[in-house]
Amino acid sequence: MTVLSNWQRERVTVALAQIATCPGQLAHNLEAHFWALEQARKAKAEVVIFPELSLTGYLLGHGVLELAMDLEDPRLKPLREASQEVALLVGLPLRERGGGIANAAVLLHRGQIVGVHRKLYLPTYGMFDEGRYFLPGRSLTPLPWHRAKIGVLVCEDAWHPTSASILVRRGAELLVVVAGGPSEVSGDDVPQGLKRWHWIVGATAITTVTPTFFANRCGWEEGILFSGGSWAVDGRGRTLGGPAPACDPAVIACEVDLAMARRHRTLAPIPHAERWELWQAEVERNRDELTRG
Amino acid sequence: MTSLPAVDIPLLAEVLQRFLAEELRASGLSGYVCGLSGGLDSAVAAALAVRAVGREKLRLLALPGPTSSAESLTHAQEVAKSLGVGLEVLDLGPTSQLLAQTLGCASDRLRFGNLLARLRMVALFDAARAHGLLVLGTANKSEILLGYSTLFGDQAASVHPLGDVWKTHVFALGAYLQIPEVILKKPPTADLWPGQTDAAELGFDYLEADPILYYHHDQGLSEAELGAQGFPSALVSKVLATYRRNRFKWRPTVIARVSTSCINVDRILPRNPKP
Repeated sequence: MTVLSNWQRERVTVALAQIATCPGQLAHNLEAHFWALEQARKAKAEVVIFPELSLTGYLLGHGVLELAMDLEDPRLKPLREASQEVALLVGLPLRERGGGIANAAVLLHRGQIVGVHRKLYLPTYGMFDEGRYFLPGRSLTPLPWHRAKIGVLVCEDAWHPTSASILVRRGAELLVVVAGGPSEVSGDDVPQGLKRWHWIVGATAITTVTPTFFANRCGWEEGILFSGGSWAVDGRGRTLGGPAPACDPAVIACEVDLAMARRHRTLAPIPHAERWELWQAEVERNRDELTRG
Repeated sequence: MTSLPAVDIPLLAEVLQRFLAEELRASGLSGYVCGLSGGLDSAVAAALAVRAVGREKLRLLALPGPTSSAESLTHAQEVAKSLGVGLEVLDLGPTSQLLAQTLGCASDRLRFGNLLARLRMVALFDAARAHGLLVLGTANKSEILLGYSTLFGDQAASVHPLGDVWKTHVFALGAYLQIPEVILKKPPTADLWPGQTDAAELGFDYLEADPILYYHHDQGLSEAELGAQGFPSALVSKVLATYRRNRFKWRPTVIARVSTSCINVDRILPRNPKP
């Protein structure tokens, strides 16, 4: 007990809302949000994390032109109201003032917009065509929630390990990955896409020594399978909640202790040891190559 | 490296039935209609639909023509019975013969076969309209890739649950879903004329073709690389020639784009939007 005598617990309960959305069916999607919210309330969650583009569905195509909204959009009113009690991180196509649309995750609390993360990496290969419909985000900053700084990664952002490293350097205490991760069926009873996600989420948590929360959608959209499996893991690789099943909607309540998370980063100061000068050298080398042509 | 990678069949069945449930929910319609041919593909599609939405939301039609074998109808009845769903039999014989006479194609078995496949489509979409249903497609990935189907005939459907499933795996799904043994064992046939089999028409069977198609279409191996992997080169040539020849059937029509809002080119939109 001597080692932990000064340890003040700072518990936060995070709910992962694994829902099945339908592209272009806002009422249906909103109903799914409120179903999850009800479960999260029962679990006394302080923040509820919804998947990528949770409000509109993922495979919108040019439907983003009809469904994109700004932060004052009346369609957000029910969620603003619901955020009086509990913080909500929801996904939506965000209409930008200067034109263009971002694939955004918006943090709402006490009826206000607390912060917005715009997806940085828009996959445009294979079945993905996001670069056609969205503008990429231009910055990476943790969202300033009153309980903790939340580093948000939207789906493909998490496939670039630099994103999580930068967020943690910028002070993120929790990492949140919101995804619309498509999947395929392979030789065992876990969808192949879900296995890839669990490798990424686990590696993100362990290499940044930061609790990481993964909220994925499940179900089908336009013939594309999404594989759920929402999961939370602490900075030392221990499960905090989940994984949720692959195919069914679920709400997973996960308790994280922020003081313990800090202890982890003290005992295993891996992110503090990042050699940023190597990154800088690489950036400069890249710049030189571009200049030289 | 000459076999098809394994797929977890229970998981495949589960996700496909959820696909059918979601497509029905999103459409707002009340069920599915499926033509039972007496073969494996339609039996598997129907069995998935029963698991997805319940037998009371599935309407089954047998649509025999004058050249269909009597055995096909018996097998369709057996499938319907095993699923606990009634089977409505609509004899397309007189209609198809009359139309064939009008069109002058009665003696051309390929044209007559296509006509029959398209009349089945007419019957299925009419039932869909009459009862507020979606047409349940039965085409599998192998036959779509090879273009072994009738354009706007058996290929036409509201949804294709098996359209990304190799025929090799449809056999496994059939066994898992407890499709009657006699149907699992019979050779695949479109049943468009007596004695017809897919293998005799294509010049190879699906179990031979599937790994070749997989390593070419999915993994990108060239014809030469497939040969180097040990696939017989004559078989590879035959399979890939069919794969290339019938590719137009993957996209049954093309719209001439003359604006900046061409449907499915400049405007790709969700199928079932609702406020």
